[in-house]
Amino acid sequence: MIKIKELSDVNLFTSGHTACPGCGVALSIRNAIRVLGKDTAVYVPASCAVVFGTTFPYGAWKVPFFHTAFENTGACLTGMQAAFEKKGKKVTVVGFAGDGGTYDIGLQSMSGAAERNEDVIYICLDNEAYMNTGIQRSGGTPFGAWTTTTPVGSKIQGNQRFKKNLGDIVVAHEVPYYATLSIGHPLDFIRKVEKAKNMKGFRFLHMFTPCIPGWKMDPSKTVEVTKRAVESGMWTLYEVENGEKKVTYKPGKMRSVKDYLNMQGRFRHMSEEDVNKLQMWVCKKWNLHYREKGAPDVCEIAPHDERHAITEEHREMHGP
Amino acid sequence: MKKVITGDHAVAIGAKLCRVDVVPAFPITPQTLIIEHIADFVNNGELDTKFLTMESEHSVMSAAAGASAAGARVFTATSSQGLAFMHEMLYAIAPLRLPVVMANASRTLGGPPGIWCEYNDSMGARDSGWLQLYVEDNQEALDMIIQSFRIAEDKRVLLPVMPCLDGFVLTHTVEPVDIPSQEDVDSLLAPYEPDIVLDPERPAMIGTFMPAEYIMELRRQTVGAFECAKDVIREVNTEFAQKFGRDYGGLVDTYRMDDAKIALITMGTVTSTSREVVDELRQKGEKVGIIKLRFFRPFPCEDLKKLASNLDALGVFDRSISYHGGGPVYNEVRSALFGMTIPVINHLAGLGGRDVTEEQIFKMFELTSRAAKGEKVKEVNWHNTRGETV
Amino acid sequence: MFEVRFHGRGGQGAVMAAQTLAEAAVNEDNYAVAFPFFGAERRGAPVLAFTRIDAKKIYSKTQVYAPDCVIVLDDSLLDTIDVVSGLKPDGMVIINSKEDPDDIDLGISFRTATVNATSIALEILKAPITNTAILGAFAKATGLITIESLESSIKEKFGGKLGERAGERNALAARMAYEKTIIGTSRGIKKLESKKQWLPAYQDIPIGGALIEGKTQAGLIGPGSFIENKVSGWATFRPLRNKEKCTMCLLCWFYCPEGTIIRISDRGDLMTNYDYCKGCGICANECPVDAIKMTRARS
Repeated sequence: MIKIKELSDVNLFTSGHTACPGCGVALSIRNAIRVLGKDTAVYVPASCAVVFGTTFPYGAWKVPFFHTAFENTGACLTGMQAAFEKKGKKVTVVGFAGDGGTYDIGLQSMSGAAERNEDVIYICLDNEAYMNTGIQRSGGTPFGAWTTTTPVGSKIQGNQRFKKNLGDIVVAHEVPYYATLSIGHPLDFIRKVEKAKNMKGFRFLHMFTPCIPGWKMDPSKTVEVTKRAVESGMWTLYEVENGEKKVTYKPGKMRSVKDYLNMQGRFRHMSEEDVNKLQMWVCKKWNLHYREKGAPDVCEIAPHDERHAITEEHREMHGP
Repeated sequence: MKKVITGDHAVAIGAKLCRVDVVPAFPITPQTLIIEHIADFVNNGELDTKFLTMESEHSVMSAAAGASAAGARVFTATSSQGLAFMHEMLYAIAPLRLPVVMANASRTLGGPPGIWCEYNDSMGARDSGWLQLYVEDNQEALDMIIQSFRIAEDKRVLLPVMPCLDGFVLTHTVEPVDIPSQEDVDSLLAPYEPDIVLDPERPAMIGTFMPAEYIMELRRQTVGAFECAKDVIREVNTEFAQKFGRDYGGLVDTYRMDDAKIALITMGTVTSTSREVVDELRQKGEKVGIIKLRFFRPFPCEDLKKLASNLDALGVFDRSISYHGGGPVYNEVRSALFGMTIPVINHLAGLGGRDVTEEQIFKMFELTSRAAKGEKVKEVNWHNTRGETV
Repeated sequence: MFEVRFHGRGGQGAVMAAQTLAEAAVNEDNYAVAFPFFGAERRGAPVLAFTRIDAKKIYSKTQVYAPDCVIVLDDSLLDTIDVVSGLKPDGMVIINSKEDPDDIDLGISFRTATVNATSIALEILKAPITNTAILGAFAKATGLITIESLESSIKEKFGGKLGERAGERNALAARMAYEKTIIGTSRGIKKLESKKQWLPAYQDIPIGGALIEGKTQAGLIGPGSFIENKVSGWATFRPLRNKEKCTMCLLCWFYCPEGTIIRISDRGDLMTNYDYCKGCGICANECPVDAIKMTRARS
């Protein structure tokens, strides 16, 4: 396995790109392409990454770059891979799509490529909203989050639905590899990209990529907020290889979702009730995900509700 | 070798003879036979191509774009709603100058839904940057797949080409077709070798975000390629005629136009039926002829001007409607003939696949002749349409 | 007609400033329009916005080419952009700068006003968002709108969007800037260099806009050519690394979204290329031994 020290010094995504300071997408792209190496060709659908990565006549990519539209990453990768294979060229074909381009408008195209088990790597850069158009809700937006299409109004505050479970959708296609990644966990990140690179068939890397303006946070906190997401269970690190699920990192102790929400302006308006609702969702996910034996399907961090009283088991598991 | 085959089969054989590298496919009536035949070729080992069973037409054109940008010769086929679903990608790939060839089985674009021949599917794509041509019979369908690749991949052109064949009237009709030998096709069509492709050895950026400082020039450049295409179409036609003995005339073809005073502009299979009508009218001594509009994009303004200069009146057949009035061909023709004073009469017929009979075509010539004599004739005439009189 | 051009960076609120100025002008019974340069720039990248003010209805829908006033929200822009381009001879320049107007070199003498809007913004708004402060300077320097009508526009616009308290504080920032604005004349020493740009004729654009690595008179184009884009001006802060404390764990090198941290001395040491540092501060935030501190850039 590659260690940080052994990573290449070559910038295949060069400096001078125009991403916002602290951009989680730029950070993820830079390090992913560092591991993937120069024998790679990328497709980027409509997203910030098209604009900050290429603005005619400039470009940050030093590997072949292709872009046409928004909803067609899976299909474009399919075509590129077919051409390379026909021509006998060994090229790692990689798509870098956003959450909107994957969860929503690009779901069909992704599903087609997954189902056909195309020999490509599909990377979803999940910043939990349509950021390129100025922060609108997507199927990847978490419960409660402010976006410009889920504004904080006097009647309705923030996103009313929970984040779509994309992982299970991808895995249901019985693809060789699905993994979630966090830029706050570099060794896990590098290992998964490297593993995907060395496999065949449809590989899906789901990257959690904070967006500074979209999440209304300090640009220096990109990595920290990612770690906090994992510690709170809002993001979980695992991989599914040929149907076998494996948790690749488990935080020692579950952290309150509030600690995660407090770092970001997009959650600032949330009522105690809504925070609790989200905490319940996270707890359920946490328990399912880490297969905690004996943990009830409830959460000890949720107060004000007698039905969800804290049990001794919970206290033991999560601390006081 | 002669074979009695459908238009769809002829198209599939044409694609096979062009040794296409990648064929992304999705079924839609009446095109489906094309991709079925290609699937047969591939699975029987007759054709070494990457056949991709995509999950939608949008994905078909996306995969076509990706494969073409990566240097492959790409063929596909679609029709009607499928073409409409691809619309965004038609616009995406033409200015990127990716020379994909896609057959379109002309079919009415709903609503209301229908499956028969009408040109409102391809006419909607007329300004997407694709070259567009309409064929008259199955032989021309096959031949034009070969010519389309030659034209598309010419370094002066580098544009996608859409040969259109009439749904059912050609796609599902069998007639004898002379199948060229692979050797002859190979000598006409060299392997596709683009200058810039997605290649890690020499990385390229294709489809970058482009500010206003450049797009105007890029659009102008594409117009230049359309201009060049006119010459290339004529050159390829000549070369093809020399090799195979079939001369299609280039952008337009003519029938009995030498001394004609009345002419009808036709497209697709209506051209074929019109030949019979013209023969009959000629026997009666009427000086009539046909201008077969083969390429709608690029539009042959110069050819039409020249042909119209000796006429007393010109009829224009349209198989689709611009809802403001006449058909798109009529509007283009009138624009091309600006400044000329002869009457130009629009004949709408065959919408939604309604059969265009000889009787209707006689009527088209009759109305056009009357206009030539100075009689009052409607500009736009709906043939065989209940409630309309012609 | 009075035309104003705003030079700012994405996130500084140049567009909001242009709109607020228009509202203030309308409040004083003028007609006014405000619009951004329709770009797709990210935070920190140079942006333009415009305001037109007149006594009667304005019909022109073009960009502003010969402004009466230029407002610069970030003086780092002076290094890379000819902000006075097209400015009318009797025009006015208003700059967010800690310098006196007489110490500002625009390459040409113009009536110039300066105010340290960044300090005011950091003090009052706790963020380097200088758009309201600079409008206070505009009111003072041009007298075109009164500070009172500006304050009420700010309260209305910012208050409506960000809450009453934010509206009040932004109005206060404008008032404080109004009082601290200094008016003078810029110097005209430096040679103005217009930015080189590759603008090929249509015959010379690579077919379909497909680019491979190349070089033009205006510099590199194609893959990897973004290194032509020096982004240091985006930064409000920049990192300083204490070599003694550094353990070479390389986390900063890994975490930098820009690739500005480079391994040198046969990989035994690190160097920061400030040309490409946008000052996000991830490196300082993540350094496990606190070897990196963020300091004000250009101070």
